[in-house]
Amino acid sequence: MQLLNKMDELYLDNIDEYVNDHDKIVTYKWLSLTLGVHVNTAKQMLYHYLDHKRKESSAQLHATYFVSGKCVDNGHTSHKASVVREEQLEEFKSKMSLIVSVHVYSVQKALLRDSGPLYAVDYDAVKDNLLSCSKYSAIRCSSAVPMSSVERNAQQAPPPPVLEPQQSKKPSTNGDTTSKARPAKSIMGMFAGKAAVAKSQDGGKEVKSEPQEAAAEVDVPKGKASAKFNHMMNFFGNQSMKKQEKPVKEEEEVAVESSLAEPRQLEKVQGEKVTTEPPKYNKKDSRSKTKRLQSSDSEEDKMEKKKRRRIKKPVPDSSEDEDVIPDSPPPVAMRETSPAPTMEPASHPGLSETTKIRKRRRVLKSRTFVDEEDCIVTEKGYESESYSEDESATKQAPTKNQAKTKTSASNEKKSQKKTTENKATKQASIMGFFQKK
Amino acid sequence: MFSDLSTPRDDSSLLCRPTEDLAPVFERASPAYSPCFERFGVGERSFSRQYAHIYAARLMQMRPLLTEKAEQKWGSDVLVRKLCDLQAGEQCCIVGTLFKRMDLQPSILKEISEEHNLLPQPPRVKYISDTDELILEDELQRIKLEGKINRDRCVTGSVIAVYGAERNDGKFTVEDFCTADLPAQSVRPALDSDRFVLLVSGLGLGSSHADSMLGLQLLVDMVTGQLGDQGEQSGAATISRVLMAGNLLSQSTQDKDGSTKAKYLTKKTQAGSVEAIRLLDELLFQLVTSVPVDVMPGQYDPTNYTLPQQPLHRCMFPLSSVYPTLQLASNPYQATVDGVKFLGTSGQNVSDIVRYSSMNSHLEILEETLRLRHLAPTAPDTLGCYPFYMKDPFILEECPHVYFSGNAPTFESKRLTGADGQEILLVTVPTFHSTQTACLVNLRTLECEPISFTAFSAGDDDESEMNISH
Repeated sequence: MQLLNKMDELYLDNIDEYVNDHDKIVTYKWLSLTLGVHVNTAKQMLYHYLDHKRKESSAQLHATYFVSGKCVDNGHTSHKASVVREEQLEEFKSKMSLIVSVHVYSVQKALLRDSGPLYAVDYDAVKDNLLSCSKYSAIRCSSAVPMSSVERNAQQAPPPPVLEPQQSKKPSTNGDTTSKARPAKSIMGMFAGKAAVAKSQDGGKEVKSEPQEAAAEVDVPKGKASAKFNHMMNFFGNQSMKKQEKPVKEEEEVAVESSLAEPRQLEKVQGEKVTTEPPKYNKKDSRSKTKRLQSSDSEEDKMEKKKRRRIKKPVPDSSEDEDVIPDSPPPVAMRETSPAPTMEPASHPGLSETTKIRKRRRVLKSRTFVDEEDCIVTEKGYESESYSEDESATKQAPTKNQAKTKTSASNEKKSQKKTTENKATKQASIMGFFQKK
Repeated sequence: MFSDLSTPRDDSSLLCRPTEDLAPVFERASPAYSPCFERFGVGERSFSRQYAHIYAARLMQMRPLLTEKAEQKWGSDVLVRKLCDLQAGEQCCIVGTLFKRMDLQPSILKEISEEHNLLPQPPRVKYISDTDELILEDELQRIKLEGKINRDRCVTGSVIAVYGAERNDGKFTVEDFCTADLPAQSVRPALDSDRFVLLVSGLGLGSSHADSMLGLQLLVDMVTGQLGDQGEQSGAATISRVLMAGNLLSQSTQDKDGSTKAKYLTKKTQAGSVEAIRLLDELLFQLVTSVPVDVMPGQYDPTNYTLPQQPLHRCMFPLSSVYPTLQLASNPYQATVDGVKFLGTSGQNVSDIVRYSSMNSHLEILEETLRLRHLAPTAPDTLGCYPFYMKDPFILEECPHVYFSGNAPTFESKRLTGADGQEILLVTVPTFHSTQTACLVNLRTLECEPISFTAFSAGDDDESEMNISH
């Protein structure tokens, strides 16, 4: 009986801390998962706390209740399960023709306007303790045992076992940094007070249970979890402060601790799964995105290249530059044209113009052009006689140079942008080949 | 009643200080269960066939049944004719497939062929009109029907037998007609204790407003034995199975933005169904650790659209698929739980008939399809359907004990007693998302009761203020 009273004080202090200090909405489910007690016990704890506080008549507390029962609604009977505010409780109960259960659903400091937050609280709690979420419920299902991977394979549903190694690595390293310092300290603090009083036997036991708990905590990667841990520490801290002198008590604590540690370990596994999944998805996403980016870029580049090529084609000088871009048909063309200009350098300016057919003056020149069959044809013939070479040469040379520098500059830019030039350009060249035809 | 079963014991109130003995653990009832989803597999998945084969197979399978029924009804000497042998003025019986020609029925051909830049036909609640014509077809011919047959109640694709005579104007005057009616039923074993199967549909996860989520969580908590007093928990332990009848995801997860928007605009967006499925997986996980769950896909769920919808893929449920208690089922669902045969759909067949007939009540339509002995008569006409070739799997070969359809606007149930003593429970499972109601089927008594979940909301006491402000 004495034992029970001690427990009472403990959890009352705890709930008080959650409700008042942390300003939390404490639902029975959250409490059950946090303290690792049966759901029904958690409901009673909340009721006791509420009762206790009302007697003290200290700060105002708001509660919600769960009511269920038979309800007759215009001739149809149905089973109705509701969460109601305390003010509406009696009214609600009076509507029921048979009340099956009434219990405290949650206790909180603020008045809840709607029930959304209640869901949010439970959702977070369940998400953090997914593996142990049905551990404290009142129903066992003997058939709900996780299948081994072999069984799952037999069910012709190949599970993704590849994920596991990645998952187990990441969170533990994450967890290490945050929790190594903290739990160590708090554990020390927790047992520091006792250590003096504790007998060597008990000490041994504690040592045994410590690493277990520490291990469990270490791997919980959530900030919240560590905060929770802190509360747990307070829980035990209070206790040890209050009754340091009882080794029996300590043994019991150890038991409680290890029982607490158990779900944690499960939760750890779960936590890993849950927390590592999102990044995975993201990773995949980003990868596919970058791929798409690249491909779209290269498409654009291709287009640019094609356009530029048209300008460059008649400029044989730039062939060294252009060779970098292996457009399969053009290089051939350039090689063919290059001998002709060496014999007659004056033809250079003419070359660029010939494609546009602007010259009418007669002069002996070699002309290179692409005919209908896409062959580069070099012809020698007379063009305009009244052709002043100096003028046109000076006029054309700079423009050509400008064009060249421009294109080469943009080429550089392009090559900078695309570090994986080889692959992309190869592709582009193939595409160019086909588009040519 | 579930409530009666869960009546509280006097000594066990939860409104007291913690006591030692109040941490009970009840064992979940585990009934014999055998799924029969093979019937609704689609085999080789060849989509190049014509749909005519379904009608042919359907008529071929149903003809002997209807001939038999016709002989029962109009005497064994009744003349059963094929349309090609029909002679004007002769009283006879014809077995054929109904076709209702409807002006308002949306038709892609109409939209394409009338190249008048017409607006797409507007979606309607009902596509019936006064100009509809009822036509009976057999393998070779068709004939217009008149007389004592309710045109608006009938739907395309139902195989019936009509009795009457052809008039000189080439129309057939119906004096009476009959349907294949209920198939034979196997005997339901007597159970010694109450066991329940919870039916729920239309969870609507991933919708923009999450008001209903607490209700859903309450449902899960109740089934898993967290909520309520000991009595309630022991009652919940008798829920031996949970059956989710489709539309687990909300319609809003199906936005077609991805296909219409430019790629660069949707690069960073994730399909809404991804998050919703994750949520579903977590919910299922809570359930499957405590109770066997059957999950049927529905209209908005990520599986094939055409009936029969194939089970959702396990890979979508990394958490819950580890448990053998998770059973991913096909959309027409058929299974035997403790000797009680369940058959039902996620509701597409029924809501399609609502659109193409004058019937509005889902329960009425459910009964009608049972009487027609066909799960989805409007498939493949107005309801998407796999092009079956040799057989029509939607013909009922055996009478179920529980016949349900999901995603109904309200909960309704009815006990039906067939001519040969068949006992059938018809249930329309309401959309949980909007009604916050599920239903419990008692396997022993074959009764069904709704179970609803409510939570308070801000509107409850602000209503008067709201009215003033507006």
